Amino acid sequence: MARMILTFNKQVIKEYPLLKGSLTIGRNEDNSVVIDNLAVSGYHARVDQTGPDFILTDLQSTNGTFVNNEKVVSHKLEHGDKIIIGKHVLLFVSTPKGKEDAAPVEKMDMDKTMMLDTAKQRELLSKQKTAPAGAKVPEKIGVISFIDGSNLGEIELSKKLMRIGKADTSEIKLSGMLMGSTAATISRRPSGYTISYTGGMAKLKVNGEVVKESVPLNDFDTIEIGSYKFQFYQKDV
Amino acid sequence: MEIQAAGITDVGLKREGNEDSFSTDDAYGLFVVADGMGGHLAGEVASRIAVEMINKSFRRFVDNRTPLEELFGRPDPSLTRLGNYLSSSIQLGNRTVFEMAREYDQYHGMGTTVAAIHVTPELIVAANAGDSRIYLIRDGSIERLSKDHTIVSEQVEMGMMSPEEAETSPLKHVLTRNLGSSENVLVEVFEIEPLNGDTLILCTDGLTDLVSDEEILRQASAGGDPEDMCQKFVSTVLRRGAHDNTTVVSVVLSGMARAKNPPLKRVAFFCADILFGVQRFIKKFMP
Repeated sequence: MARMILTFNKQVIKEYPLLKGSLTIGRNEDNSVVIDNLAVSGYHARVDQTGPDFILTDLQSTNGTFVNNEKVVSHKLEHGDKIIIGKHVLLFVSTPKGKEDAAPVEKMDMDKTMMLDTAKQRELLSKQKTAPAGAKVPEKIGVISFIDGSNLGEIELSKKLMRIGKADTSEIKLSGMLMGSTAATISRRPSGYTISYTGGMAKLKVNGEVVKESVPLNDFDTIEIGSYKFQFYQKDV
Repeated sequence: MEIQAAGITDVGLKREGNEDSFSTDDAYGLFVVADGMGGHLAGEVASRIAVEMINKSFRRFVDNRTPLEELFGRPDPSLTRLGNYLSSSIQLGNRTVFEMAREYDQYHGMGTTVAAIHVTPELIVAANAGDSRIYLIRDGSIERLSKDHTIVSEQVEMGMMSPEEAETSPLKHVLTRNLGSSENVLVEVFEIEPLNGDTLILCTDGLTDLVSDEEILRQASAGGDPEDMCQKFVSTVLRRGAHDNTTVVSVVLSGMARAKNPPLKRVAFFCADILFGVQRFIKKFMP
């Protein structure tokens, strides 16, 4: 898989796989590679796939596009080419997997764990507007919305682990003689929200199916615990 | 609840020193692995200091029942008290490694990853920074309770790279978070309810570089005590070339209440079901 590696001051900032066969480079935010620097034009250059090759085209940028220190208008990219745009360097990597040793960036011992560091780079990353390393995927939070006629309304899942049950320590307190002190829990995990049955006479059902252990929750799943019924969904924070 | 735990660290076949550290403390239910980085002995020092500091501060917080506002770092309202204790201990570990790296020339640039769990009968807290992982094996399936803080995994999460590309990316080992390289660290914390029979595996990338999640599941489910389990993981890694240090800690939970339902309870369940049905009916038609 061909890809571009964006570097600044010999430090790797980010890697862009050439997934869709083409990519644009520029200062405006709708480019695939955004370089927030005044030396870079709004739409500075683009890369298109034609058959097995990748062609770099300068989009009549103010300060020009350089490949290996030569100014280019249009250029067929070769493995290891250095595209210079302003002060940033984009490295083009195209060799099949396992044969990439020739790429300059891999002269570093990439096998060793290292920290993306140096004050300068951190500063740079914080200035980068598009999803730099360390950026957050838009946060979402789970909500449950009661649809059983009880007047509990909507409850935000504000804790990583929400206990549902009769006990006073429950984050979501439900009453009923047969309700378990902790009947179920909803936990936020790396893979998403998960609901688990934990105890009591009140059965846990998700979309009508009895759950005896745990199941992942998807938007608009219907959950029943005893006589309570609610829906799960996620909203933007 | 009964906790059985074991941990092993192995230098591997390519590296000269072992920069990994780990600790197991059954009494406090605290288990930690750390993968140090930095030249000469610095990586070793970073991971060891972090593990010691986390253990020491966590025990102190638990013993004193330290109020949340007195913890190091701002408490996270989405976490339990114990979750905040673990997170704060890791932040303290970070500050210690950071200060040492700044203070002494020979430690300049050192850092370490951390993956830690705290287990009680009511709660499992899993916390990490860097690319050491925490796995939960439950009911024949495997799930990660940690996030990799690497450039590539963040790009995968944002949908900019496929997991397959991430596997072969030259940037696979570039971390976006660790302990030691900045004054404060954001710790990833998850909390779940433990279940009888849960197995938790903490490990450094020496294992996960060479052994897939499915293989970890298979080997962990094969039975044997935690010691055997760790030993088997390390042998697999050594067979495959062991280009890095490998550390594995395995924790098995047993002897918890909440067994299978006896017949009488099932009858009760049936009656309860009918009752709830009636209750729901009443709610629906007679508001």
